Amino acid sequence: MQQLVYAVASKDIVFESFDGEAVVLDLSTGKYFGFSDSGSRIWEALSSGVAAHALVGQTAGGATIRLAELDGFISQLLEFGLLTPAADASAQPISGAFLAELAGTREPLKVDIHDDLADLIVVDPIHEVEEPLGWPAVKQAS
Amino acid sequence: MPRVTLQSLSDYARYVLAAAESAAADYAVTTKVDLPRLELTAHLSPGPLAAAIDQAFVRAPDDRTATGDCRIFVANPNIEGIPVPASWGQAYFTHHAFATSLAEAGLRGNHYHDLDFWQFYDPERRVGVQLMASPEAFPPWEPSAPLRAFLHWEYAARGMRLAHAGTLGIDGKGVLLAGSGGAGKSGTVVAGLLNGLDSVGDDYVLIDAADGVRAHPLFATLKQDPKGFQRLGLKHRLTSYGPLNWQGKHQFRIDDIAARPVPASLDIVALLVPHIGGGEASSIMPVSRKDAMIALAPSGIAQMPGERESGFRFFSDLTRLLPCYRLSLGTRPEEIAGTISAFLARGTP
Repeated sequence: MQQLVYAVASKDIVFESFDGEAVVLDLSTGKYFGFSDSGSRIWEALSSGVAAHALVGQTAGGATIRLAELDGFISQLLEFGLLTPAADASAQPISGAFLAELAGTREPLKVDIHDDLADLIVVDPIHEVEEPLGWPAVKQAS
Repeated sequence: MPRVTLQSLSDYARYVLAAAESAAADYAVTTKVDLPRLELTAHLSPGPLAAAIDQAFVRAPDDRTATGDCRIFVANPNIEGIPVPASWGQAYFTHHAFATSLAEAGLRGNHYHDLDFWQFYDPERRVGVQLMASPEAFPPWEPSAPLRAFLHWEYAARGMRLAHAGTLGIDGKGVLLAGSGGAGKSGTVVAGLLNGLDSVGDDYVLIDAADGVRAHPLFATLKQDPKGFQRLGLKHRLTSYGPLNWQGKHQFRIDDIAARPVPASLDIVALLVPHIGGGEASSIMPVSRKDAMIALAPSGIAQMPGERESGFRFFSDLTRLLPCYRLSLGTRPEEIAGTISAFLARGTP
């Protein structure tokens, strides 16, 4: 996994940064994700095409980023539907300024999900139809 | 019964809008509501929604120069020319797909399945329709903040926003109180009002962040669960109060308990995130903007149909514009109000 380049999973994933901490919203589900300071930097790097392996061994949150730790973090981002592998993309370079910012972070890699107000998928069996033609094609349903 | 799918949704919306407008002469009630920079005209039938529209809004005396108007038709098939509402024709319904489909056609909308309740708005023409199966077939939350989806869409088109937040202030300066249910937001607003502070609303207030941050009143409704109602002494304070609402809460108005008329606006100087502190005394401490954003944005966006990304950007900008604090709530209403009052006077905790 760590050799891969990733991209933001869809156009429905939007994010903003607050004093170096990212908040991500999945517009399609209403789920929010809050990142620690180091998690925010890694999210920003991965979502802009920095290769995962370039991050291993860097300093973040007062420690060295280990492979297993980064793998676990990336697995979470994939599971949450925030990132997707971008097999054909070429890796973007990692800048010295970014590494300095990453080294200045204080918290471990972390992302929290806030889904208590996320959408429920409304499934209404009363209205289920095998091939919905839709209004106004269906004038009367039996 | 006709069915609506994502593919036919915008056609259905335009059909319903046209039918509602064509029947304009057949609505028994026409009411005008003066709101911040907006005159809203509602055409509807007599009944509980007409009463709610008459009662629910704040009618402040000044700062109400309308810079536009909108017309909302509250329609049902008892009105000549209004069709029976269609049903949703697909098994899966997602709010985002629904809103996106309408937005691509320049429209806004909302649907509540259980009642075949539809709301559509054309922001370019500022015309909306709320189509119901009967005059009383609306969701139980509608009377406390009637037509709020239309206000949300109209104000969003102007770069403003309905925020799910409480407000307290004094001498024209105020704070926004943001948090999920149970955090103490509404109890704090009532505690402040009972102890001499002003408010431009709880639950839904209009935010204009174009030049500083200003909060304007829209709805006069306040709510308290029976425990808070008792703790705040409202049973003795209010001369009359109705039955519990659909949430099991008492519902009353700002002017039932406010010492002064509702101000036309408050200049918002901070975003406070309340929580039940557990201690006797209240305190105000800095909180990260990330945490403040997560307290503010989700309920405001989830409770307002469509405009999700614009809402996320708006609340992000708002959070960056304001200093953000955690308000740990003490146990005594007058002490909570005093803490906020002192904070407003100093401008810092």
